[in-house]
Amino acid sequence: MEDQKPQEQAPFGQPPFGQQPFGQQSFGNPAPKNWLVESILVTLFCCLPFGIAGIVNAANVNSKHAAGDYAGAQAASAAAGKWTKIGFFVGIGVGVLYILFFVVLGLGGAMMGNYR
Amino acid sequence: MKLLYILGSIVLLSLVVIYYKFNPEVYNFFPECPFHKYLHLDCPGCGSQRAIHALLHLNVQKAMGYNLLLVLSLPLLAVQLFSKAYAYFTNQNTVLGFWYNPNTPKIIFVIVMLFWIARNLPYTPFSYLAA
Repeated sequence: MEDQKPQEQAPFGQPPFGQQPFGQQSFGNPAPKNWLVESILVTLFCCLPFGIAGIVNAANVNSKHAAGDYAGAQAASAAAGKWTKIGFFVGIGVGVLYILFFVVLGLGGAMMGNYR
Repeated sequence: MKLLYILGSIVLLSLVVIYYKFNPEVYNFFPECPFHKYLHLDCPGCGSQRAIHALLHLNVQKAMGYNLLLVLSLPLLAVQLFSKAYAYFTNQNTVLGFWYNPNTPKIIFVIVMLFWIARNLPYTPFSYLAA
């Protein structure tokens, strides 16, 4: 999907080569997906610090893209996606395991109060 | 992709109903954070379930007591959701430039880490942040 963007945007501006503005986002090469929103959601809801790794990699995506390092930004994007997905699925896995454990232990406890 | 959206909406809607009907503080079938269970420390996401329950009952103050970070991030996430929905329905490829600012993730990272440390300090002004 990212590969198609330069072609779609080609009619609107100059060809992507040779005009890399410093410290700005270039229109020729759109930044790769940085997974920032997803990693914030994982941090808040999946309750595991994997989201933090996602946020760190999102920072790498943005700063490398701003510096014109497109390959580095793509590598950071892949890493950010990896950590966010790990956090997401571990979170879901823990939740499902917890529910299964609960069902196995007996539904009788399900409606009982929590005595902590 | 469309099927995924529909399935996601169904799951989300049923979660909303569950979190509206059952208070995670009272019923114990809600999953507990492994980080909190084994280390007895709060992570940045601890208190989210109770905060969502409070938010669904429109009790923002109580939700802030459970997880301040979650409540503070809601406006930001709402803007993102709106922008995504707008892009989807108008078939435009709009992306919020804000998320791609090099400073945004760094600031968010610092906020999350400070929140994580602060809510585990046992002293008075910080203990309000604990879940």
